[in-house]
Amino acid sequence: MAELSLQHIDKIYDNKVQAVFDFNLDVKDGELIVLVGPSGCGKSTTLRMVAGLEDISAGHLLLDGKDITRVPAKDRDMAMVFQNYALYGHMTVYENMAFSLTLRKENPNVIHKKVMAAAEILGLTSQLNKKPAQLSGGQRQRVAMGRSIVRNPKVFLFDEPLSNLDAKLRGATRREILLLHKRLNATMLYVTHDQTEALTLADRIVCMSMGHVQQVGTPLELYDSPNNVFVASFIGLPPMNLLDVEVDHGELVGKDFRVSLNPEQKRLLESYQGKPVILGVRPEDVEEGAGIPLTVSVNENLGMNTLVYGNIGGPSGIKLSAKLKGWKNYRHGDRIQVCFKRIHLFDKETTNAIR
Amino acid sequence: MTEDRLIRTDRMRFTKNSLSSNLAIAAIIFDVFYFLKIYQSDVGTFYYNYLIGISVIYNLVFMLAAFLASEGVKNYKKPYSWLLFALGAGQILRIFILPLRAHSAVISSGGVEIAVMGNGQFLWVVACLTISAVCLMASAVVNLVKCTALEAHRKTLADSGVCV
Repeated sequence: MAELSLQHIDKIYDNKVQAVFDFNLDVKDGELIVLVGPSGCGKSTTLRMVAGLEDISAGHLLLDGKDITRVPAKDRDMAMVFQNYALYGHMTVYENMAFSLTLRKENPNVIHKKVMAAAEILGLTSQLNKKPAQLSGGQRQRVAMGRSIVRNPKVFLFDEPLSNLDAKLRGATRREILLLHKRLNATMLYVTHDQTEALTLADRIVCMSMGHVQQVGTPLELYDSPNNVFVASFIGLPPMNLLDVEVDHGELVGKDFRVSLNPEQKRLLESYQGKPVILGVRPEDVEEGAGIPLTVSVNENLGMNTLVYGNIGGPSGIKLSAKLKGWKNYRHGDRIQVCFKRIHLFDKETTNAIR
Repeated sequence: MTEDRLIRTDRMRFTKNSLSSNLAIAAIIFDVFYFLKIYQSDVGTFYYNYLIGISVIYNLVFMLAAFLASEGVKNYKKPYSWLLFALGAGQILRIFILPLRAHSAVISSGGVEIAVMGNGQFLWVVACLTISAVCLMASAVVNLVKCTALEAHRKTLADSGVCV
């Protein structure tokens, strides 16, 4: 049982720079929370505050209802996995995994049992006598995870653990982390700037920008109902198309295109008549069909889909990306017609979703 | 075999034999104490002969061999036990060469007879060599026992299809 609660957490550095503003989050037992956001958004700082590696300037951190805001890192019963593995090069995998328990002067037989169990979970049994230099990046990261597992901590903290791995290995290790979470059913906090990792791993995602939490929700909630323009553009690959339009009697009017609204959307935009709003369209919600003229500039075949980048109207029109089904062979300058299967609407001034 | 004993044996697959290794290092340290004590003697010309030359060379060879053996036993290499036994026996044998001869020798200086090695110094060097020998023997025995247990354990694991 490990429930974590972050209440009104602020981080202000000595030079008065505030990195985290009023961070609130309740993490349930066994939940995998992913903090996602661009570099410098405060996600790693938040994780380090939870770990006890950074002081919390204001607010409270509770673990199972107990206030651990001022508790030193070593007494928090949390284990952290770093991006650069932080393994001891002169020690074998076994010694690296056993190290924290050896420091605590635990019974060597107990340490052995724990290390062997962790190695079994992570598929490292045959690597235990090797030094980190003899392992691949993925294996090293598994050793780092193993070192955390043997401690049997209440909370696992991951700080961009896959960033040093190549794309293929990243996918494989990501699946291993997911399996590990299912197997251990442990409470985990995971920091990444990669939205694919966030969407595939998380029970819930915390999307951050400039030290502020932008949205907390399940991956589907963030993808389907983004709170604001930032979340909409950050979650999804390629990012959502954001087009400046004006509401005009049941239609959205942009430069060289018009989009009809359904009754529900008309109702939502009643108070926006004649005002500018932002129209959001995911590339995968753009499909071929009569409606909007698109001049193709780049055609990228991905096998199952084709990414088409172009401009609405002529070559100088608004940029639009589309993820079309099947293999397409459009050439630069081709003119095609597209329509929007689903749209999102955002207030131009506040950038919040119009709901 | 009890579970505890089984785990202790299994642990040897991944941990170093630091007990044997440390005993061998301790033997080197006591050898150093021995030669520091014996070379500080400055009694006439008793030590100025071929024996002291051989002693210096043997000390160097001993330290090298004992260090090599300490690294060998650290990784459960059985043959190094035999080397440690030999070195241990050599340390005992050395008591009867230089220290015993010096202890029973007397030189005359200005008409006064002086013992080359007093009782205190003799006991000290004999103790150093004895402890060094005991350490070497103990290191060898521990390594032999551990290696034998580990070999048997590895064989059991291999027979049961476990990757060793």
